[in-house]
Amino acid sequence: MEQEVAALIVHTLKLKVDPSAIQPEDALFGDGLGLDSIDALELSLVIAQTYGYQVKSSDPEIKVMFSSLRSLARTIEKNRSK
Amino acid sequence: MSNAPLIRLYGPDDVLAWEAASPRSASEFLSDVAGLADALPDVPSILNLLSSRYEFLVGFAAAMVRGQVTLLPQSRAFQTLRRIAGEHGDCYALVDRGDAIDGLPCVTLSPRQGRSVRSFEVPHFPIHQEVAVAFTSGSTGQPMPNRKTWGALVSVARDTGSRFCLETGRGRAVVATVPHQHMFGLEASVMLPIQHGLAMHAGRPLFPEDVRTALADVAGRSVLVTTPLHLRACLMTEVTWPLIEMIVSATAPLPRELAREAEERFQAPVNEIFGFAEAGSVASRRTVSADEWQLLDAVTVTEEEAGWAVRADYLSRPVRFRDRIAVIGQRSFRVLGRTEDQVNIAGHRASLGDLTRKLLEIEGVQDGVFYLPDPGQGSLARLTAVVVAPGKTSEEIRRALRLSIDPVFLPRPLVLVPRLPRNETGKLPREALHRLVEQHSEHGSVHER
Repeated sequence: MEQEVAALIVHTLKLKVDPSAIQPEDALFGDGLGLDSIDALELSLVIAQTYGYQVKSSDPEIKVMFSSLRSLARTIEKNRSK
Repeated sequence: MSNAPLIRLYGPDDVLAWEAASPRSASEFLSDVAGLADALPDVPSILNLLSSRYEFLVGFAAAMVRGQVTLLPQSRAFQTLRRIAGEHGDCYALVDRGDAIDGLPCVTLSPRQGRSVRSFEVPHFPIHQEVAVAFTSGSTGQPMPNRKTWGALVSVARDTGSRFCLETGRGRAVVATVPHQHMFGLEASVMLPIQHGLAMHAGRPLFPEDVRTALADVAGRSVLVTTPLHLRACLMTEVTWPLIEMIVSATAPLPRELAREAEERFQAPVNEIFGFAEAGSVASRRTVSADEWQLLDAVTVTEEEAGWAVRADYLSRPVRFRDRIAVIGQRSFRVLGRTEDQVNIAGHRASLGDLTRKLLEIEGVQDGVFYLPDPGQGSLARLTAVVVAPGKTSEEIRRALRLSIDPVFLPRPLVLVPRLPRNETGKLPREALHRLVEQHSEHGSVHER
């Protein structure tokens, strides 16, 4: 799942990085991969289309969810409807 | 008119704001303002960084009561805040509980420190009172302050409201995805509601599901104030949308096809506003049916020596358009193109010259340039930087840039090269830059982004 989500991130945001090079615990935003809120919005659209999970800011998990590849993959796994 | 009221067309019990699904009445608002005004320090300028749109408004109004000017920085980058604070003499920041900015006195808003106000007395402010300063990148690259009077904000809000037939706004609510510290956000999501008796939603929804929830919170007729980016995101999402009465978009050109799709999906007109920080909103159009922009009532366009400019009673001097325009008749114009140096990423505007200057200020950077590649299909355009910095990694440069520029302008990719393809006159032909970036991407030497 982590590999799948890594590939999704790289493809969606057109990153010049090998998906397997993203460490599961590395920060996605800020100092890590350097993503921002626009990227979060783009990712949320693809997550909804691919997994049927609508990300929302009121979700208590939201801060943790986007903190690393591992937590993102976990949250999607838990909430996916397809 | 020498004074104008803080809020208009509300009865004491009318809803002025929705904090999630909890209403806040106009009289509660006035008491929140009076309470905070009592508590603010005696300092002339304030950086209002509150994330709740309602709390921001309370802070903004309380500062006006105290005769203080609210600074609206273009970016929340730490160095920008500190520099702006430094340039405005005594300054303090109004921040969310738990937040702080190093080197600046910070005040937080206590939960509901409202002083009870006996009667429903709406404060009035002189139209010439300076109430806000919006910053833009000047031609030299230094941020330029644009001083806003109370009269300017009120005039734009009222004219925008009458353009969109919101004069009797009671029962309507504004839900906005744009930041309220942004000039358009201040005008359309803060001033527009309070000058027409509309309720504002305090949130700043990001994800489509957030937008849906906010629209459901206000449970009724709503105006969605947004950007092309958020609108596209909403259209891509399969959810059942609550009723929207009107959509207002600004900050970047809205493609007509997107406007058409939005009108069909939401069964609501999509209006677009044209403006820039120096002048505020100046014109509007219904994107599906018109290319031309219709000037707001108080605005005229005149030809000055340097080009077309906006004039209005509330502007101290004519303000030049940032775009190249063609004037049609007396009251409308068409936009021909952007001036080369200006870029707009997700509603944030910057000058490439300014960004490049900040890049060159980084220790170890010998040469470098920011440029905007042609947008790829369906993706957001992002800036590219090409940098000469022997011995430095792209990550080190990125980290340094993060301190001085807004994250939306961080380059992706950031390409390290041995030298820039400067021509004989020292200029950088766009084509040569583009080839260089392609080359380095193909050979896999693009360092992350």
